Amino acid sequence: MKIAYSHLSQYIEENPTIEQISDSLFQLGHEHEINSDIFDMEFTPNRGDCLSLNGLLRDLAVFYTVDFNQEIYTEKLNELQLDFKNLSESTCPKISFLKLEIENIPETYKGSLDNYFKDLSLNKNNLFTDVSNYLSYETGQPTHCYDASTMRGKLLLHEIDKNEEFDTLLDKKITLSGKNSVFSLNDNIINLAGIVGGKSTSCSTNTKTVIVECAFFQPEAIIGKSVKYDIQSEASHKFERGVDPDCHDRVLRRFIKLVSEHANIKDMSIISYKSKDNPITQMPVNVGKINQIIGINISEKEYLSYLLKLGFIVEEGLIEVPSFRSDVKTQNDLAEEVARVIGYDNIATLEISIPKKEKTNHKAIENKLRFFLLDHGFYEVINSPFVSLSSEEAIKVDNPLDSNREFLRTNITNSLVDNLLFNERRQKDSIKLFEISDVYLSSNGINKKRKLSVVASGRVGLNYEDFSKKINKKYLTALFQEILPKEVFDFEILSRDLLDTKIKNEIVTLEVDIDRFSTNILSFKEISKSPESFAQYSPISDLPSSFKDISYSIKDYSKTQELQDLLLNYQSDIIKNVYIFDYFKNEKQEEIKIGFRFIFQSKKVTLNSAEIELIYNDIVTKSLNISGISIPGI
Amino acid sequence: MPEHMDISPPELIKDRGSLHPINHMKDSIMDLLISFGFEIVDGPEIETEEFNFDMLNIKKSHPARQMHDTFYVENKLNLLRTHTSPVQIRGMLEKKPPLAFISGGKVYRKDDDATHLPMFHQVEGIYVDENVSFAQLKDLIYKIIYSLFGEDVELRFRPSYFPFTEPSAEVDILSKEGKWLEILGCGLVNPIVLENCNIDSNKYSGLAFGLGIERIAMLKHGVTDIREFYKSNLDFLSQFK
Repeated sequence: MKIAYSHLSQYIEENPTIEQISDSLFQLGHEHEINSDIFDMEFTPNRGDCLSLNGLLRDLAVFYTVDFNQEIYTEKLNELQLDFKNLSESTCPKISFLKLEIENIPETYKGSLDNYFKDLSLNKNNLFTDVSNYLSYETGQPTHCYDASTMRGKLLLHEIDKNEEFDTLLDKKITLSGKNSVFSLNDNIINLAGIVGGKSTSCSTNTKTVIVECAFFQPEAIIGKSVKYDIQSEASHKFERGVDPDCHDRVLRRFIKLVSEHANIKDMSIISYKSKDNPITQMPVNVGKINQIIGINISEKEYLSYLLKLGFIVEEGLIEVPSFRSDVKTQNDLAEEVARVIGYDNIATLEISIPKKEKTNHKAIENKLRFFLLDHGFYEVINSPFVSLSSEEAIKVDNPLDSNREFLRTNITNSLVDNLLFNERRQKDSIKLFEISDVYLSSNGINKKRKLSVVASGRVGLNYEDFSKKINKKYLTALFQEILPKEVFDFEILSRDLLDTKIKNEIVTLEVDIDRFSTNILSFKEISKSPESFAQYSPISDLPSSFKDISYSIKDYSKTQELQDLLLNYQSDIIKNVYIFDYFKNEKQEEIKIGFRFIFQSKKVTLNSAEIELIYNDIVTKSLNISGISIPGI
Repeated sequence: MPEHMDISPPELIKDRGSLHPINHMKDSIMDLLISFGFEIVDGPEIETEEFNFDMLNIKKSHPARQMHDTFYVENKLNLLRTHTSPVQIRGMLEKKPPLAFISGGKVYRKDDDATHLPMFHQVEGIYVDENVSFAQLKDLIYKIIYSLFGEDVELRFRPSYFPFTEPSAEVDILSKEGKWLEILGCGLVNPIVLENCNIDSNKYSGLAFGLGIERIAMLKHGVTDIREFYKSNLDFLSQFK
């Protein structure tokens, strides 16, 4: 909600700067941004009372001398004769109507009304709608204006539960569905209660007689409707958060006053309907409780002074909550009021000491499994549970974000296979992944299973010992036998026939319930550790990578380390990784053969062969400068 | 050629995998909280409206309960938990005060952009005892944030609103670029919630807090797009060893 600084400051005696008001609002919990002397406010959903100029002033009154008693029409008003029946009193326990006829339609606005449109750069509609919009801004109470010439007949507020077309005043037709409270005139819907009015009865620039509806709608009846019908409605935003049920007379009298400042009023009358009184919330004055909740020590006098400034009434040891503060119901709510006024950052800390518990080994088996897999080069992944594939046991999401992913996964492996293909497309040739997650199945109710899934393919490792070995069932079986020699796990080979890939490496998978693992695993001594610090992420490249291998023959063994130091530490922006993929010491020939693989990838551009050759040639030249080293073929 | 026999093969570099950075962050925070005296409780990701909303004083009219915010399953019979708070409700129903629980795990909301995902992770904590105050909550939050970001970090408390805490606060830290960043939500447990769990709110009070793991992981690791965490890209994951 946008509120102009000048509109606030005109009612504040101390004339604070915009920065001072900003600080005060922040302390009170009202987040905002400031653009060109306009506060763009974001209120928490419990503070519907602040969604207006006066609402914000009521809160600021705790810090400043504030007087915002805007002028109202004070004379006695005739009773409006209206053929109206409220059949939806549970939704709308209070409603008032004002009928107003004017002689002339003003061409320009003045005073507060004029400032509102100018300062907030708003478009005008017609006098009555403009006054209604301004009043919502000033008081927080939405009102709706009907052109009285269109309102002949029986007016009904009632609940419908059927599909029906409704032509809104926003030039948008909507189809009402489910339960809705509506105003009907002679059985035709003219207003979706609390959300948006209808086109057929809306005011125009020619309207001279208006019927103004001022109602209190229960938030429960309004909530979600504007989203459901995709309507931007300030009224529904306010009703959803709660408006002051006791403000109708004052708001409508203010309506009259504003109109009278712009046109001659010929006739006016008012009528109010009330099915029940607004319940009054009262609580005993208990400063000890407030001090205990916050952890401070203020006097009762100081405590009550805060509440009085915020509009609370204190009488005979009781605190009465004002009608506009429907969010305050308990001593904790009152404590929050005090804490806001003091300022959360001004409340001193009190040492907390929670009794220490005996340390339990939470998820010991699965944590041991994680580090065992890390030791063997597996990477832990986390996948979304939303999938397209259905099975008889899959749980369906009623309202998926994506209609192609409307089920919860019944296995983890499919997600990991997607991850594997994703990485293969990025030229990865050694991929080992695992995920531990809950999986939910629908069979005789909801069944939760905690599972481990392992998917691996390609080279066993990127080092000279594992480079030429391929991941297969035998490799993984041996791996798991290392920690659980007596247990049998059913590794599977996944066919690539249905996968979108030309790579032929075997994909080995395993999906198993965590409770299949016995405590024997706890004796495994892992090498991997949880990182002690949090690595700074370096953005990765999605550009294609390529590799080049260089194989050396070393006759002078003493130069082996020098060659490794040179190549493994070679600096280039386009070398992503380098490792030794081959090593062989031929005792008879007195020769070491060593192969290095260089992975090239840029973070900025797709590399061409000339750019790679340039670096490759430099590596070759520098390495051949080491005596006793040769590259067969060069 | 001298000393042929003395040469040893190159160091055999076996690639170790890495924990997922979100799980690592979650575990780190849980370990920290355990060191403060909290114990871990677990709960299901598929919850009832009763535990996810009603018991936490989130009324039927609250926007979070709408279909556009919460994933419902099985014809609205159940839902995917929108926070880990229902786990604490289950814990409070099982045990009597004094109690100090933490719960961590996946939660779900209908969001999807560069800073929000439909699935994300939370760690929440609750401490219920006699005379637990807001000033003590502040002390705990300072300890948590100093442990995570160092004692030089500047932080502030802002009044906020959660139906299950009263008073409620959000806590921001000041980034190196001078921008305030929201880190966690906290407050004193609403007495209504305590009563819902059969805990005498006249005798006991409690504090509660919740942290979004992705948010903190993004700050600590310098990741700017939350979606990177869930692409399972080995180039990304291998940076977090």
